Amino acid sequence: MPSSLRALLVLGLCLPPALHAAATGSLTVTVLDAAGRPLADAVVMLDPAQGKLPIKPMAQVDVAQARRQFDPRLTVVTVGTPVNFPNFDTVRHHVYSFSPVKTFELKLYAGVPAHPIVFDKPGAAVLGCNIHDRMAAWVVVVDTPFYARTDGSGQARLEGVPEGAYKLRAWHAGVAAGQEPQPVAVSLGGEPSRTQLVLPAAPL
Amino acid sequence: MATPRLLRLGPVALVRTWVRKSLSARIVLVFLGLLLVVQGASFFAIRASIDHNARTAIAADLEVGERLLKRLLEQNAHKLAEGAALLAADYGFRSAVSSNDADTIGSVLANHGDRIGAGVAALLDTRFHLRASARADMQRLQPVVDKLAAHAGNPRPSGDVVMIGDQPYQFVMVPLRAPVIVGWVLMGFPVDQRLVDEMHSVSNLHLSLEVRSDARSAWKTLLSTVPHEAREVLQRQASALGDNAMTLTFPDGEYSARVVPLTDTDAPGAAISALLMRSVDQAVAPYRQLQFGLAALTLIGVVVFAVGSVLTARRVTTPLRRLAVAAERLGAGDYATPLGGQRRSDEIGDLAQAFERMRVNVAGQQEEILKLAYWDSLTGLPNRVQFRNAVMEAMALAKADQRSVAVLMLDLDRFKHVNDVLGYRFGDLLLKGVAERLSQQAVRNGDLVARLGGDEFAVLLADLEPASDTALTRSVAQRLHAAFGDVLTLGDHTVDMNASFGMAVWPHHAADADALLNRAEVAMYHAKRRGEGPVLYDPAFDAASSQTLTLLSELRHAVDHHELRLYLQPKLALDSGQVVGGEALVRWQHPQRGLVPPLQFIPFAEQSGFIRVLTLWVFEESARTWRMLNEGGLRLVLSVNLSTRDLLDLELPQKFEALLIKHVVPAEAFCLEITESAIMDDPQRAMGTLERLSGLGFRLSIDDFGTGYSSLAYLKRLPVDELKIDKSFVMSMEKDANDARIVRSTIDLAHGLGLTVVAEGVESQQVWELLRELSCDEAQGFHMGRPMPSVEFISWAAGWAARRAAQGLRGASDASVILH
Repeated sequence: MPSSLRALLVLGLCLPPALHAAATGSLTVTVLDAAGRPLADAVVMLDPAQGKLPIKPMAQVDVAQARRQFDPRLTVVTVGTPVNFPNFDTVRHHVYSFSPVKTFELKLYAGVPAHPIVFDKPGAAVLGCNIHDRMAAWVVVVDTPFYARTDGSGQARLEGVPEGAYKLRAWHAGVAAGQEPQPVAVSLGGEPSRTQLVLPAAPL
Repeated sequence: MATPRLLRLGPVALVRTWVRKSLSARIVLVFLGLLLVVQGASFFAIRASIDHNARTAIAADLEVGERLLKRLLEQNAHKLAEGAALLAADYGFRSAVSSNDADTIGSVLANHGDRIGAGVAALLDTRFHLRASARADMQRLQPVVDKLAAHAGNPRPSGDVVMIGDQPYQFVMVPLRAPVIVGWVLMGFPVDQRLVDEMHSVSNLHLSLEVRSDARSAWKTLLSTVPHEAREVLQRQASALGDNAMTLTFPDGEYSARVVPLTDTDAPGAAISALLMRSVDQAVAPYRQLQFGLAALTLIGVVVFAVGSVLTARRVTTPLRRLAVAAERLGAGDYATPLGGQRRSDEIGDLAQAFERMRVNVAGQQEEILKLAYWDSLTGLPNRVQFRNAVMEAMALAKADQRSVAVLMLDLDRFKHVNDVLGYRFGDLLLKGVAERLSQQAVRNGDLVARLGGDEFAVLLADLEPASDTALTRSVAQRLHAAFGDVLTLGDHTVDMNASFGMAVWPHHAADADALLNRAEVAMYHAKRRGEGPVLYDPAFDAASSQTLTLLSELRHAVDHHELRLYLQPKLALDSGQVVGGEALVRWQHPQRGLVPPLQFIPFAEQSGFIRVLTLWVFEESARTWRMLNEGGLRLVLSVNLSTRDLLDLELPQKFEALLIKHVVPAEAFCLEITESAIMDDPQRAMGTLERLSGLGFRLSIDDFGTGYSSLAYLKRLPVDELKIDKSFVMSMEKDANDARIVRSTIDLAHGLGLTVVAEGVESQQVWELLRELSCDEAQGFHMGRPMPSVEFISWAAGWAARRAAQGLRGASDASVILH
């Protein structure tokens, strides 16, 4: 039900109306699932209310295949970051993505592919291996410099965010396509603030 | 007439009669009845068990059928799921799906669906919305998809059976992963005749698929293995499908059915159920075969049992019947024919042997009885019965020829004495000797010697010349009598035996055999009494004997009507001449005959036992008299005579005592006189009575001493006080020196033993004097006084005393003068 899926925003602080433009603050976000349990490996992203913040691609990031699993299973990269898929297994893998963010296919290979895949659009890509159905990994491509990953307690901390109005959104692999909640508007002052997000995430 | 009566009876009554009368029928009926009961019980038990087993087996079959059906559906679902999974894993398909190219997706689905024979193939998105289908009527699938989506993560192993239009489909749904679930592949397999046929071929169960559009409508048969002609019947009965088990009736018999819901029964909308059916008749058929076999076996068993029991019963009853016939024969007196059948070694054989032994024993006993009946076992002579028969035969023969028949009867004298002294064994030897002697002397052919009993023998002289019959009889009797004169020597003993002979001749003395025997006997007793030789019967004998017969009743009458009188004969002391006592004697004052002499009734009374009555009468009368005398001033001792029979009467002492008390008389007032022979008859018993009488205080006296055979040893032991010397010695002692010596020595002997001596029969003054000289104590006799009526005794005594006083001391020689 869309209304129930709407994110709830609880402000930990009431920010003062006039903030110093140069001052930076921090935001600690706790992500919970619908049952109120802390959700690990969620990615929280803070977008300015208006416009876009400049970002630069990261240096090459590796998503390895070891013991027939992707490692790491979740990788967060900025737009334009090249990602390579070194295979440390003795068996070959056939890594693919049908995700619209980046559709690609690395046909059966061993070792390190010659070229990395550049993730040039924001969004999340699900990676699979055509010959090992159980293998799955996610590459979340962000287009903001303020992002963080929740730890085991479902907390993510966004540091050095300049004061101003933002849109807070979160991603989690368990959230089905089309069920993502709407971004939540937050205003950040110089003080550290806390907020909570609830995601309709199914267990993976 | 037996047959018509039997015919009138009903068959049941006939059988009942037959069973009641025939042991073999009963045996046969019991055997057959028991067999039938056992067989019937087992038949019903088996039938119940078969029924139960069959139904259990059918239920099990149906359960197996249900599992089989589910397994079949599972297999189908599995096959379908595999196909769907294969499709879902296809990289090309996944590429097509990700490319979102609906036409391509549709053609891939159609292609794959055809490959695995799926009627329906469709792609759903992650939210179970149809994205693509191989079929045109995609929208018809959506309700099915919604249904399946409810348990998409937990699919049923047999898939889901859902109606699409009129066609049931078995659906499976598998996820499409890339690598996370990006959609679902739905595949549907049409459930058709092939499935039910396959089910029928592997399970031998009939299967029918029943559907209904909603909970309110009736079930309709969709597919079935039931033949077409039975479809209508099935449709009718299946329209109201039960929950689980039900029974259907088809033209070919009863079927047990099990309902297997293929869809959720409680879910709304169309429902599908499978109906599994198993023929009960078919299941029971093998058992029915068994039952027929059992029934046949029972029938054969009944026949075998019937034949067997009839034969067995025959084996028992045939010899029994034979034995019954034989027993009838024995009953009729035929002991000569052997029974037969003893060779068998069983109980019947034992019975036959027992019967045979009985036959032999009875035959022997019969012979013995006949012998005992007609023969005397001791002497081997004919007995009285045979003798009587012989007499009758002889008389019958003699009658025709005008001849005579005589009977000689003899009785041994003193035989009882011989028996007592020498014992019965010797007595028997003696009888045998006599029998032998008689047989030797038996004169002519046809004459018969018999032992009639005891010491009585008889001789039959038949076919006598009437002119000389008595003479001949006499001569035979004389000869036999003479033969007894010879001494018989038996072992160590020689016996001088004598016999009394009586004779009677027919037709002179009697008209028939019994009378003849009786007359001979009368003659014999006459001879015995007279102590002479053979006596021929005389009708006068009978008069005498009839006289004695009336005597007894007259005596009784005499006692009852006071015809008896008590007489007293005085007893006097020899030294003083005083009256010291009296002997009580009975006299009979007969109203017609006058005074009857004692000899005419005392011996008879002794013989007949009436003497006991007389003794008691005398004793009581004496007691009364004693009181009278005592009141008259005379203190005397009255002597009363006791006979043998009195001594043998054990109650005599009590009777006397009672009378003493009644009349208030002391026992010392009496002296009881007993003869030696009375004691010697049964010394033991007599002694006992005497001791008790002595104990009561009576004086006892031995009467007629010297005439018997009494031994001094007895005399010594007897509690007597007095001896009475027999008058035969006393009367003639004045003339006979021997008698005088006997009297003297008897007096000495008595005094030696401390007894008083009384002399009887003192009839003269000389004897009186002699006795006084011999120191005899008392005397009794006509010289002093005859027996006199008791009432006269007092006056006599007074007279005697007066005479004594008048005589003074004048010499006893004058006493006789006084006395007469």
